[in-house]
Amino acid sequence: MTEQVEVAVVGAGPAGLSAALAAAQAGAQVTLIDGYGRPGGQYFRQAAAELRVNCPMRHQREGQALWEKVSTAGVRYLQETVVWGAFEGNLLGLHGPQGPAYLQAHAIILATGAYDRPVAFPGWTLPGVMTAGAAQALLKQQRILPGKRILLAGTGPLQLVLAAELVCAGADVVAVLEGARLFAKAVRHAGALWGQWQRLAEGLSSRLTLLRKGVPFRLGWGIIAAHGTDQVESVTITRLDSQWRHLQGSEETLACDTLCLGYGFIPSNTLSRLLGSKQEWRPELGGEVPQRDRHMQTSVPGIYAVGDGAGVGGGPLAMLEGQIAGIAAAAQTGHRMGEVERTIQRLAPALGRERRFQQMYAALFTPGPGLYEWSRDDTILCRCEEITQAEVRRAISLGGDSSNEVKAVIRCGMGDCQGRMCSHLVAHFIARETDRPVTEVGLFRPRPPVFPVPVLALGQQAEEIPSGAVTEAARR
Amino acid sequence: MSTSRKLAAEVVIVGGGIVGCAAAHYLARRGKKVVLLEKSVIGGEASGRNGGGVRAQCRDRRERPLAIASIKLWVGLQAELGFDVEYVQGGNIRMATSQERMAMLRREAEEELADGLVVEMWDRDELRRRAPYLSDVFIGAKYCPTDGTANPILASRAFGWAARRAGVTLLTRTEAVTIGTQGGRVTSVTAQDKDGEILIEAPWVIHAGGPWTPQLSRTLGVQVPIEPARSVVAITQRMPFLFKEFISSHDLGVYSRQAREGHVHIGGVGTPGKTFDQNMPAASVAHLARGVAQMIPALRGANILRTWAGTLENAPDKVPIISPVDGIKGYILASGFSGHGFCLGPIAGKLLSELIVDGEPSLPLDEFRLSRFAGPATPARTT
Repeated sequence: MTEQVEVAVVGAGPAGLSAALAAAQAGAQVTLIDGYGRPGGQYFRQAAAELRVNCPMRHQREGQALWEKVSTAGVRYLQETVVWGAFEGNLLGLHGPQGPAYLQAHAIILATGAYDRPVAFPGWTLPGVMTAGAAQALLKQQRILPGKRILLAGTGPLQLVLAAELVCAGADVVAVLEGARLFAKAVRHAGALWGQWQRLAEGLSSRLTLLRKGVPFRLGWGIIAAHGTDQVESVTITRLDSQWRHLQGSEETLACDTLCLGYGFIPSNTLSRLLGSKQEWRPELGGEVPQRDRHMQTSVPGIYAVGDGAGVGGGPLAMLEGQIAGIAAAAQTGHRMGEVERTIQRLAPALGRERRFQQMYAALFTPGPGLYEWSRDDTILCRCEEITQAEVRRAISLGGDSSNEVKAVIRCGMGDCQGRMCSHLVAHFIARETDRPVTEVGLFRPRPPVFPVPVLALGQQAEEIPSGAVTEAARR
Repeated sequence: MSTSRKLAAEVVIVGGGIVGCAAAHYLARRGKKVVLLEKSVIGGEASGRNGGGVRAQCRDRRERPLAIASIKLWVGLQAELGFDVEYVQGGNIRMATSQERMAMLRREAEEELADGLVVEMWDRDELRRRAPYLSDVFIGAKYCPTDGTANPILASRAFGWAARRAGVTLLTRTEAVTIGTQGGRVTSVTAQDKDGEILIEAPWVIHAGGPWTPQLSRTLGVQVPIEPARSVVAITQRMPFLFKEFISSHDLGVYSRQAREGHVHIGGVGTPGKTFDQNMPAASVAHLARGVAQMIPALRGANILRTWAGTLENAPDKVPIISPVDGIKGYILASGFSGHGFCLGPIAGKLLSELIVDGEPSLPLDEFRLSRFAGPATPARTT
């Protein structure tokens, strides 16, 4: 069954919740779709429904408050529903326990978030090596510690926050490795911290917790290799130069059973790519992001992109972008059309503050190019298909000069994760080997379904799928 | 922009699909100096985007001898190209859901047997016994044991790599823009890459541009009556081994093969839409999923991992054009393969090389002349 709706919002994190709320409050009929069982995304990630949690974390409380507003505003919420495809005519393919198989919306707001940047080095596929996001999900949602002796490596203050949370939850945090060497740069950007009191407080309190517990915080350190037979037993670390390349002679080996990697985020731009939105390469925003106008609309009319999925910038920025897109999408469907400019003006100071913070964050914590040189020839780059760097090199020698061509020849990026894990790894490696910019090499072309979907679910309602343009019912 | 770069060759091939690359390979082996021009990448279009079927059964009678000869080449291709193209002679099953379809298949079987192609008619029981993975909507089938499958992405590229090793100049991301003639004879091809123009002087041009052929041929005043069509394929996650045959049902409009790694490829038969658009339509995703669920019950719970679309070209009678062109000496068309180019690629390439080197191909190409479209149209004759 294909359902027509005025505004579809994909993703129920800070950006999506804010967008859905703004659009619904303006009078639009809104459907909010999210892959998880509870709204909030990673930022507001809630404890599992089965757990009775007396004292939710601050972000969880904020998320709950926002969600209550969204649900009372009359937003239709499709939970545990993945958007597996996006097609011409503002058509979304859905797969979930209830709701339609296809949704055709007059306006689509993509609030798909970002995912942890995979970093390849010898041993990165060992059990016990995980992303910071995975560790945080275990902690926030399941209240489970990922391990007993944990080494954190990555960049940015989120690492400090996670480390402090892990310590408070009883873990032994071996050390926190920050890839950047901060101090000189930090002073230059200190102005952007004006007004970010909550963030400063959170960062400071995390740092104090680590100091109190004697957790070493090392600036300008990275990873050479993780070792172990069945799982991580130790990690060899080293100093990094300003480009994040390994510095010889400073190697140390630390014993641990868990290694959490937090090297920033990659925006999830798959759906906007499938819809044909023009993209641009912005390493400081995480990678490839859709171009947008001041209404957060992409190059395709009626397709909006907000939050980390349109450029990593954190929860508060995502919520502001969501509000603007929500109002703009509602106006596009004929609701409170005069409101758009007023909203943009009203939010301008806050938006400016968050953009400055975003720029500061990017300047301090965007990984250097050396991060993509930590892999060796026998390191696996594509985990799903178990393709090593040496095999990528072979595909390049056969003439593979783009990500898509290398993918075709050796299957990297063709596995269950649809290339999300290896796309940046492979693209950067080809770029380095062929001495060309990543933009020329390109990323894997996304192919629907963007998540694996059962044959029966996809085959259900073959005749009823609209082809081509938005129908009159949705256009109004 | 000035023509600063000049090359000379004995043969210029326009189009780096399997037909162009096979022609380049066989010509180079016969000692010809070849330059191949490809607008994007080798095997990047229909040659690499197809179901991977290599069959002689269910062909138009004119095409059958070519298919039979091509399969003989396929059998030796790994040795010939020095690359494993995942060719498997696993057989081809064309199923029927109706008595009418069975009758058509039976008529076709008689013709095929008369032409020396070994095929078997299977009734319902035989089909159950030989292909127990198929659902009971099928009442019978025609089977050809010498047909098979290969990996399209690798096979077309392997021809390209072999051609390059044999000395062919492969210019990828280089688009042919004009063909020069003088006194009714081909003299050169002008191509464009990101750095500008390249002039390649040559007395022979093989034009194997797939669906993009008419644009360039028109500059010579040659009308090639082909139309683009979108082909669509869906691929499941890796599954345990289920079947080795290439199977298809025109009644359900789907075909399928299981690739070496276990993924099941599902393609659409006769997908409509005269378009160069390579986006995957939602309706096609649903059609393929529904088709395979009806065809192979064991796949109903499998996950679809990926889908993609490509562009192939159809001739009015669904039979290729492999043809010198009257009035333009040295210009040879090899296009209009109508979705059959993957199987026919090796033999087409070989015959094209013979046409140039020996002046006479080892199999007659008269049925594939462009001039056949000058008279009344001949309809396609396949099941």
